This record gives sequence, C-alpha cells and structure tokens, in this order.
Amino acid sequence: MKKILIVDDEENIRFLYKTELEEEGFMVELAKNGEEALEKLPLFKPDLITLDIKMPGMNGIETLKRIREIERHLPVVMCSAYGEYKQDITTWASDAYVVKCADLTELKTTIRKLLGLL
Amino acid sequence: MAAHPDSYDLLKSIIHLSTSSIHIETKLDGMLQTISDAFESDRCLFLRPDKINENGFLSRLTSEKKTLWVEEVSSFNKKEVLSEEEDLLCPSFVCIPLYDETSSQGILYIGFSKSRRFSPQETDLILLIAKEMEEVIRNVHLHQKAEQTISDLTALHEMGKAVTSTLKLEELFELIIATGLKTLKAKGGVLRVLDRRTGELEVKCSLGEYHLNPLDEKIAKRVFHTRTPFSLHHFSGEKPSLSILCAPFLSKGKGFGTLTFYDKEADPPKFDERDFQLLLTMANQMSCAIENALVHYETSEIARQHEKRVKQLSTLWELNKALLTTVNFERIVHMTLTAITIGDGLGFNRAMLFMVSEKKRILEGTLAVGPDSAEEAGRIWSTLSQRKGNLSDLIAQIQPSPETNSILNSIVKGIQIPLEQEECILSRTVLEGRPFNIRFPYSEVGIESESTRSYRTDSHREGWLQIHCERGCSLGSEVGCYVSEHLSRDPKVYSFATMPLWGKGKVIGVILVDNLYNQNPIADEDIQFLSMFTNQAGLAIENTILYRNLEEVHQELKETQALLVHQEKMVALGELSTNIAHEIKNPLVAIGGFARLLEKAKPVEDPEKQFYQAIIKEVARLEKVLDDVHTYTHDESLAFKEWGLRHILEDSLAMVSEGVHFEDIQLVKQFAEGLHKVKGDYHQLKQAFSNLISNAYQAMNGKGTLSIRIHPILKNGSSFIRVEVEDTGKGIDPENLHNIFNPFYSTKDGRLGLGLPIIHKIILSHQGQIEVDNHPGEGVTFIITLPPLAGGDSEEGGKAKEQPLKIVLEASQ
Repeated sequence: MKKILIVDDEENIRFLYKTELEEEGFMVELAKNGEEALEKLPLFKPDLITLDIKMPGMNGIETLKRIREIERHLPVVMCSAYGEYKQDITTWASDAYVVKCADLTELKTTIRKLLGLL
Repeated sequence: MAAHPDSYDLLKSIIHLSTSSIHIETKLDGMLQTISDAFESDRCLFLRPDKINENGFLSRLTSEKKTLWVEEVSSFNKKEVLSEEEDLLCPSFVCIPLYDETSSQGILYIGFSKSRRFSPQETDLILLIAKEMEEVIRNVHLHQKAEQTISDLTALHEMGKAVTSTLKLEELFELIIATGLKTLKAKGGVLRVLDRRTGELEVKCSLGEYHLNPLDEKIAKRVFHTRTPFSLHHFSGEKPSLSILCAPFLSKGKGFGTLTFYDKEADPPKFDERDFQLLLTMANQMSCAIENALVHYETSEIARQHEKRVKQLSTLWELNKALLTTVNFERIVHMTLTAITIGDGLGFNRAMLFMVSEKKRILEGTLAVGPDSAEEAGRIWSTLSQRKGNLSDLIAQIQPSPETNSILNSIVKGIQIPLEQEECILSRTVLEGRPFNIRFPYSEVGIESESTRSYRTDSHREGWLQIHCERGCSLGSEVGCYVSEHLSRDPKVYSFATMPLWGKGKVIGVILVDNLYNQNPIADEDIQFLSMFTNQAGLAIENTILYRNLEEVHQELKETQALLVHQEKMVALGELSTNIAHEIKNPLVAIGGFARLLEKAKPVEDPEKQFYQAIIKEVARLEKVLDDVHTYTHDESLAFKEWGLRHILEDSLAMVSEGVHFEDIQLVKQFAEGLHKVKGDYHQLKQAFSNLISNAYQAMNGKGTLSIRIHPILKNGSSFIRVEVEDTGKGIDPENLHNIFNPFYSTKDGRLGLGLPIIHKIILSHQGQIEVDNHPGEGVTFIITLPPLAGGDSEEGGKAKEQPLKIVLEASQ
C-alpha cells in the first residue's frame, strides 16, 4: 500500500484529501505545516507528498527545498489555490503542480501517474 | 603876361564849379575851360594816370611829384620825351602832378602857343587851382569809394538776408550762387560741399558749364585742403581768358566746402581785389548759413529715419501682437505670411513658406499667401484699403480659408526640395542661413547682416541656375517654373528674395517673397525689415511647433497616466483578490469536495442527491469566477510557442462543448487552408477563444448559429490572421458597448463579467487586436487579428504595448 503525506494548513482540506485518497486505497498521513511535515518525513517514509504552498510558518516552497535536501527523488505534488508559481516550481523542484479544485479528479490522476499506477 | 586874370573872379568861378553838384567830368572840363580862359592858354588838359606812359617824362614828374614850369621850350631837355608826348611840347607849358595821400591822380597840363613867363602871382594862382582840382578829384574818389562800400554792404546784407531765409539745402545753395553771381557780376559759379560718407567734394549747385572743367575740381580740392582762398587770372596765350575766384567754407577751423566764381561780366572779364575780398566775406557769412542748414538737414534726416524706425517698430509690434494671439501652427503661419503681404505690414505681393523637415532632409512647401492674378491682387488691395482698425486685429481676424485654396498655395504645398540641392536658392538659404535678394535674373545679391557685401557665384550663373530646371528658372528648382508657369511669365525675369526663418539657433524654414504684380524692386532696406519681422515670426512658429509637440507629449502622458492608473487598479485588485481568493477558495474546495463525497454516497433515486448536485455546480461556478479574477489580475509568465490557430480553436470548441449538447445551435466553421502559425501561449489563447465561444453560446440561449471563421488578411502592407466569432444572439446593448472590456464594469443584471476583459488582455499581450461588430437584436461578431509568425515573433514572452481598442458600431436596422 502506497503512503501519501498530505501537507496543508487547512483542516478541512486535509480531511477531504484524506477521505478521498484513503477511499482510493492509499495510506495517508497528515501534517498541518512545513515543520510538522519535515518531522514526520523520516518516521512515516511516504511514497509521495502533496504540499500546499501558502501556509503560515514555513511555506510550501521552503518546505520543498528542505525535503529535496533529504529526499532528492521523492515525488512531490504542489497544491495551491491558484497557479501563481507554477512555472518556477515545476521547473526546479516539484514533480507536479495541481490547482486546488473541489473536483479531485486531476489530483488523483496526477498521483497515480507519479506512483506508476496508471 | 598878356593878360592878368582877375584872381578873385578866377578863384570864385573855380570854387563855384568845384562845389557845384554837376558830374565830375563836366566839373573838370569847366575848370580846365576856366583856366584856359583866364590864362589865355592854347591847351589845357587833365591827363589821367592810365594815359601816362611809364617811360616818359610825365611819368617821372608823377613819381617825383614835381611841378614843371617851362617858359621857353628850347631850353627844355627833350631826352626823356616820348614820341607821343612830343605833341605836348608847346613853346611854353606847365605840368602839375595831382595826387592824394596815397596815389597819383593825374597831371594838369596847360600849354601856350607863345613863350611866356610866369609871375609869382600866376604861379601861386595855378598851384592853388591845381590844389582845388586835386580836392575835387579826391572828393569824387572818396564818394565813389563810399558808394562802392555801401553797395558792397548792401550786397552782403542782401546775401545775409537771403541765406538766412531758408533752411532747405537745395534752395540755399541756389540762393548763394545766384546772389554771388549778382554781387560779383560773375558769369558762372560752382558750389561744392564735402560728402561726409565718401570724404569727397560734391557739386551741389552750379551755374554755367564751369564745373565740367577738370581744372575746377582741382582748384576746389586745393582750396579745400589748404583752407586758403585762391584767385587765378589768365589772359595771355592762345587759351581763352579765364578769371577764377575760389574761397573755402570754414567752420571751426575745418573746411566743409568751396565756392568758386568765374569770369566777370566786364571787359576784360577780370575780377579785382575788391571782388576777391567780397567773395571772402561772402564765404564767411555763407559758411554759417550752410552749416546751419546742413545741421538742420542732418537732424531732419535723422528725425526722418527715426520716424521710419518708429513706424517699422510699431508695425512690428502690431504684427507680433497678432502673432501672440494664437499657438496654433496653421494660424500662426498664415498670419505671418499675411503680415508679410499686407500693405500696412511689409507690403510684399506674395509670400511663400517652406519648412525644413529634419527627418527627411527636405524643404516642404507649407503655405503661400498672395493673389493668383493681377486682377485678384487689385481686388484684394482695394478691399484691404477700405478696412479700418489695428493692424494686429486685422491680421488676427483674417481667416485662412479663402487664400489657402488658391492655385499658388496648392502648387507650393506640393513642392519638396532636398536640402542638399545646393543649386537651389531655397536650400542655400537654409544651409547658409542668410537672405538672398535676386533682383533680376542674373544679379543675385546676398545680404550680410553686418556689411552689405554683394554676393557673386564663381560659376557662370546661367549654369547653376539651369542645373535642375531645363527652362532656366532662377530658383534652380521646380518652384520658379511652377510659380511662374501659371502666371505665364518668363521665369528668367522673376525677381524675388528669400529669408531664412530662424527658430532657436537653427533655420526652421525659408520665406520667399516677391513683388510680382506691382513690380516694386525689393530694396535691401525691405529685406532688413523682413528680417526683423521673420526673426520674431520664426520664434513664434518655433514656439507653436514646440507647443504642438508639448501637447502631443502631454496627450501621451495623459494616456500613460491613465494606463498607469488602470494598472495600479489591477495591481490593487490583484492583491485584494489574491488575499480574498485564498481565503475563499480553500473553504470552497472543502465544501465542493465534501458535497461530491455526499452526492456520490447517495443512491440515484434519493431526492437529496440533486441538492448536492446544486451545491457542486454552484461551487464550480464560484471557482471559475475566482480563477478568472486571478487570471486577469496576474501577469503570469507566458510560454510563447508556435501554434496553429486552427488547432487552438478546435481545442477551445471541444473544451466548451465538453459534456454539453446544444442541439438547436448550428456550428459553421470556415477555416482557411495553409494559414501561417502564430506565436503565443497555448493556454491563454485557448482560454481567450473558449471564453469567446462560451459567451456566444450563452448569448444565443440554446438556439441559433455560431460561425467561426479564420482567414489571412492584409493590413498596412503586412499579413495578419483574422478570427471571427459570430453569434445570432441579442447583441450587446449599445449603452454597454464601450465598457465591455472594462474589468470593473458590471452589466445591469449586476454580474461582474470578466470574460471579455480577459480576452482583451490576452489578445493585446499577443500583439493582436480585437474589434466588435455589434448588431443589437441580431447578434455580434468578435473579430480578432493576430500577427503571423513572420511579423510578430520579435518579443519572446514580452508584453505588447497596449493598443487602442477599435470598436465598430452599427446601428440596428
């Protein structure tokens, strides 16, 4: 069973993603900010991370940099309300960029692609 | 002694004669007769000094003042007697020299036919009578002298009166010559006065032909330079006799002229010492008068020049006042040329203006003012002469309309002369920055500001005049030909002047003036006046040009400012929307996400399922609005690549139509083959076109025809690709038409539609253009033109300059 770490400051978003992704058959762990995500990373050892960009404290971009220092090849999907940093981020660090949407089809498809499930 | 005259009676009759008022000759005759009668002499004579021969014995007697008594002629020493004097050698005779204080008056001679002795009584008596005769002659001489002096004084008085009677130089000179002629009884005279500018003596007045004789000038010069009077009498040889008197006019020790008189009206025509003295006195007296008159003349000359200057200045002032009434280029140019041609202004017949175009390096005909024909000229002049009021008002009131339509104006406006064409006077006026006065076909005179050095070209005139004009027009260009052609005159006899128009430190144009109709010659003075005026006009014109540029810049600035304000609004909106959108979007995603979960969990037949569906649909709509706001307010870096528009449109159509079926909407696609690709961002272009198509579907409310056409067009000489999206909906309310691309504008139903502003923004950032062809009630066509790859691939990912939006409005039928 593939493990996914969901990093988002919005509790309901975490809850929604967890529900949807567990329904898809993934093991899900949650982190409410960058610091927590970095703490949980060595313990949980996820196969993929979804990372929100705009978060209080350590934001998504900073967290992504730190993750890349530890796990160079771990797939990371950036999730943001809008596509404002899409160009920058995808070119240097992340593996995918998904604009948040109530319809999670795109997110799920992206995750499956990155985990080699499609 | 034969008879003893009664000495008392004799003396009585002598004294009687001497005191009588009869003429001197009669008096002397009477006295001689009385002597003859009293002494019974045979001959009694009075010998005048001029009848006495110098070498004879009479002359010796005169010089020695010795009385000769000869009682017996045989005892008289005849050695000294000249042949003509032998006649006087009577047997007995007496010679008594008569003289006054200074000179000899002659000799009293009494001759007797017989020898006789003179008693002491007789000797005394004769000597007494001789004394009396001396007295008579002396009196007469004195009288004559007195009369002469009185007449001289009268003459001088007359002259004094005459010369002070006028201050007019010409009259004065004539008077001096006439009075001098009368006083000196001369046959002719010459008056010369020094010309201060040339330093030469100039003949101001003359009578007779004497001034033509080179000798006259020579003498005058000598007298003038030495300041010494001069007289010459020439009476021998074969040359005609000549008598000259010449005196200098002196003032404060300096000479300023000469006065010469020739040949006395007498025989011989010789002036005497008295005439010479008289001339000197006259010259002295006249010097003052002439000097006064000269000063008066010079003063009035200066006054006249001043008056002229004042008039010119006031004209200039009036003209400048008129120039100050406007900053409009066309008006100021027209006013300038009008001022040059108006009679009260500079009074030229015609004026033409050529402005320098720095960019194109040419002179462009800008405007011409002046009548097309002599008849028109006369008509205009007569109308103008009836007008009243200030010159400045007059010029300011003149409307450019009638004259600007003249043939001349249209000809001049079509003229373009390369600045480098140095054969053309107009170009040379610009290049050399100085005026030219072409007086006649081949006498060109350049006017220097400081010295009036006349200008000559080295090459043969005809050559350079004809270089660019086969007909030899003196402008060396089309101007002369065209200008003269419609006047059917020979261009070779066209006189004109050119004047550079100075802006700030550079020549900004050339003014050409002529007097074609009245043929008045253009004087250097006219050119100077013109120069004074054009200096002002040049600045005024320069100012209007600057003002015009300033206005353009101001306009640009205003537009830029508006753009900046707009962009600032966008930035503000962007920040606001980013903040708000983040706050809204996350809950919205949660709401929508859980609604989907709930909806999925509900069985199909559950009536609550459609409630969840409603939530999902509305959340989707809200998400769309948020995405639109975000797209509009954020300049995302674009990925410009080459795309076929056809491909993008197909994708857009597919995206809009996905899952939706518009059964009653007919889709018409007209895509031209072989279109050029465009450079752009796929997602943005797709968003723009899908928005357009989506709008069209919505406008038709499920029923109608959607036409999409793509074809190449030619615009401003380069090819573009044109996309037309036409619907058959209601069209756009004309009231809203101007605001459809304004992101802050909401329609009457209160909806904030960001669709069209986003399309507008995307198309502009692709250097394209969007137009609206609106037919209210029938439908609307959006026309988008994009530059093809060849023309529009310069700026990779750059933002295109915002271009004005063109909206085609058509009223409903």
